[in-house]
Amino acid sequence: MSVEAKIKSYILENYLFTDDESALGSNDSFLEGGILDSTGILELIYFIEDELAIKVEDEEMLPENLDSVSNIVAFIERKKR
Amino acid sequence: MFRTLIDGLTRSVERNPNAEAVAYNGRRLTYGEVHNLAGNVATYLTESGLQKGDRVALLAANSPEYIAAYYGILAAGGVAVTLNTQAKARDIDNWLSHSGARWLFADHKHPELDAVCDTTQEARIVAVGPSGKTPSADLIPWRQVLEARGNALGTPIEPDDIASIIYTSGTTGLPKGITLSHGNLSANIASIIDYLHLTADDSIVAVLPFYYSYGNSVLHTHLCVGAKLILENSLLYPHQIVKRIADERATGFSGVPSTFALLLGRVKLDDYDLSGLRYLTQAGGPMAPALTERLTAALPHAQLFVMYGQTEATARLTYLPPDKLAAKKGSVGIAIPSVTIEIRDKQDHPVGAGVTGEICARGENVMQGYWRDSDRTAEVVKDGWLHTGDLAHYDADGFIYIDGRSSDMIKTGANRISPKEVEEIVQELPEVQEVAVIGVPDETLGEVIKVFVVTIPGQSLKMRTVQLHCRKNLATYKIPKHVEFVDELPKTASGKIKKCLLK
Repeated sequence: MSVEAKIKSYILENYLFTDDESALGSNDSFLEGGILDSTGILELIYFIEDELAIKVEDEEMLPENLDSVSNIVAFIERKKR
Repeated sequence: MFRTLIDGLTRSVERNPNAEAVAYNGRRLTYGEVHNLAGNVATYLTESGLQKGDRVALLAANSPEYIAAYYGILAAGGVAVTLNTQAKARDIDNWLSHSGARWLFADHKHPELDAVCDTTQEARIVAVGPSGKTPSADLIPWRQVLEARGNALGTPIEPDDIASIIYTSGTTGLPKGITLSHGNLSANIASIIDYLHLTADDSIVAVLPFYYSYGNSVLHTHLCVGAKLILENSLLYPHQIVKRIADERATGFSGVPSTFALLLGRVKLDDYDLSGLRYLTQAGGPMAPALTERLTAALPHAQLFVMYGQTEATARLTYLPPDKLAAKKGSVGIAIPSVTIEIRDKQDHPVGAGVTGEICARGENVMQGYWRDSDRTAEVVKDGWLHTGDLAHYDADGFIYIDGRSSDMIKTGANRISPKEVEEIVQELPEVQEVAVIGVPDETLGEVIKVFVVTIPGQSLKMRTVQLHCRKNLATYKIPKHVEFVDELPKTASGKIKKCLLK
């Protein structure tokens, strides 16, 4: 499963409670769409850290890194470089 | 002292129209500009036929437009009905119809806006957005409001006139609309300004939503003294908040326990220059003593005001003077200026020190009542005394300590949730025979929602189905984090669910 698919499926399962992939676009803002709350974003970070073996530093907790599936994918790619 | 919030804002404008009032998303507006925007809204509403006392609902995140709409509504003689932006269309429709709102000012990007447009019959909808774009022809564009040139801030308003309705519940049954007069608001705002010693030199990074009472008090206290509001609408990214406090050299910051838990948990505060912070305020439920200690240790130069209040009291009832924080650990302090508090027993008689009873309060900040609900009003306001439903005692020095709530409201983050509201939504699922909702402890949010479900014999249900149904019908913070399926619920002899056994 690709990184994008893993993240999407985690959010669909845990926050949108559906298998319907159309419920979450890759560029949908978690903030504007009310998809995650402040504890949800922390849970998502723990998921990324566990599943993808990367450490999200506190100062990296920024919308440009985390506010959509595509932002997260790009952020992870940058980290792995 | 100002008689109404409009007087307060006008004074700030007269004092210094060029002072910065609001910073938001790269924009900076002066007091003069905010005043003009509010004038546009007031003129638009007046020219569109608003009559004094008409309700105008506001469904918008914190922004200069929210502020302009709120003050414009009040200035035109309208009643600002502030709605929770996390609510779903079902709640919003219920509130619009219960309040009889003639207009709705809604963020043009609000995810429920299309659904609200489809169902709302009465209210004309203004799509609020700096771009002025409108997603649909049925909506009135914000630019049309801005074109209403004129300064209609002159409608005569008296302190007894109704200014605002704040809905605190609503999905099912009768919504609870807390109705506040101009006098309620100005009295409470003046008291808060007094004990926080707010002046035009203050500035705050405001993260609490303005639509509910704590955020509402942050908004008005600052505008009425000519101070600056720096708006940050989300706690999702706590670094941004702290960076903003440092960059703007903000003097104040207000939060609920979960706000401080997030900031202390995820941000190395030492990495930022927060020396400009003069004070912090904390309300919205008790904060764990360990968290309070960490906060004061991390920001020793900032005074921490622990406070207690209720929307029914406009916002604030008590505060703990910061110099008493160590000596009166765990206390919510004493009555704020111009409020009288008594702890009363079940017979409504005042009790002595050390005895637990209900917090009752009297003052100009006590609400006019629940909108269109005189029965429920009579249950909580008796002879001018607000009966809060909160249990507490006071010590020999008169300092108040909260002992619990006499009702079973769940407090998660800054929100209070009636278990009944969630139970009624879960009960709608055809597989559900019986349901009970309780709050369970959570490290960050204080409490989160847990639902116990008994399914109809032979039927099965997935946890996800329960959560999905809640997500469709309830604000995000009301979705149960935990779902447990049980064979039966513990009950008393009379058949009432014994929730204490579920905890």
